[in-house]
Amino acid sequence: MTALITTSQTIGPFSHEAWQWAVDLSAVANAGATGITISGTIYDGDGVPINDAQIEAWQPGADAAEAALDVPSFRRIPSGEQGNFSITLADVAHEGGQPAAYITVFARGLVKHQFTAVFLADDADLAKSAILEQVPAARHATLIATRVDDGSYRWDIRMQGELETAFFDYV
Amino acid sequence: MKFETIAAGIYPELVYPPYKSTQKRGPQQPLLRIDAPLPVSRNITPSPRILLPYDTDLTAQGDGEPLGEKIVVTGRVADEDGKPVRNSLLEVWQCNAAGRYRHKKDQHDAPLDPNFNGWGKMMTDDEGRYRFVTIKPGPYPWGNHHKAWRPAHIHFSLFGNVYAQRLVTQMYFPSDPLFEFDPIFQSIPDLAARQRLISRFSLDETVDDKMLGYVFDIVLRGRDATPMGI
Repeated sequence: MTALITTSQTIGPFSHEAWQWAVDLSAVANAGATGITISGTIYDGDGVPINDAQIEAWQPGADAAEAALDVPSFRRIPSGEQGNFSITLADVAHEGGQPAAYITVFARGLVKHQFTAVFLADDADLAKSAILEQVPAARHATLIATRVDDGSYRWDIRMQGELETAFFDYV
Repeated sequence: MKFETIAAGIYPELVYPPYKSTQKRGPQQPLLRIDAPLPVSRNITPSPRILLPYDTDLTAQGDGEPLGEKIVVTGRVADEDGKPVRNSLLEVWQCNAAGRYRHKKDQHDAPLDPNFNGWGKMMTDDEGRYRFVTIKPGPYPWGNHHKAWRPAHIHFSLFGNVYAQRLVTQMYFPSDPLFEFDPIFQSIPDLAARQRLISRFSLDETVDDKMLGYVFDIVLRGRDATPMGI
């Protein structure tokens, strides 16, 4: 049997109150997490920050560490007025070459959510990453968070343009 | 699970100029097909604690009854094999009967209803079914162009059984005269895919003299990695 899929539609501008329950849980999870922090800004094709996006992060390795949370290993972060977002992950052993987190992006004007993933620049096994080797080398940088002075990581999401983030369709 | 390529035209066009905000927000590079084991085999696992008493009755979240036409919306969530997507988180949100969202950025000059929030969430059951009671949402203007009015709709957010099944969509109501003027609906090239977003009226689901019933079945991407019969 082949059932035909239900297509996608934008989340529109009015998701925030309905999605807030998970944002509240994520604030608790972020505050309690002692792993790395990844912060950045989401931009449109003109380089204008998108202030009404929703960003979800999934850290599959954190299920045990966050078993006490209502939604373990998950963060939902609405972008701020400056398009900014910040995610603090659980402090669990990172498997080399794997994403620090799998990311899903939603926004008004985005008619289908976009999957991507964020890797860490100081991961010694990036060159052996099974996911990155499926991404054209010229676009790797769009998926790699760089370390900044305070020890956290910086990673921006760009919906369009020369540095458009590499978005995925899983096989 | 396996995720086959979706035929052209089923998904909306990421850049669809009549829907203005797609122009600078829709990705322009082709999506990269990525083989990665975790997104197609695992998912987030929400605790049942997240479900609140009135999450499936949006008419019972205030001190009194909200205004508008009370309806029940139900359906079955399945994968591309037709197998039920069980025990899976589903969120809904919508405007009230007057076409106004409870949201700080909604500027539409229509009244808020003190007895209606317009959001809920639930888990699908062992057959992949969901059911919630609400108020039929109204159409509303959205400023995309002159006389731009959205057809009445309810937003759905589904998590599926594996991460790659995630879906956000909108459910519409039968015979809405605004379909042909709505660039969000029209951004889907495939006519049959558009039609699948339209719920159907159901006398079976209608509850006596209390509320009319609408059925909206949902098919998420993905099929079993193991072919049937092996």
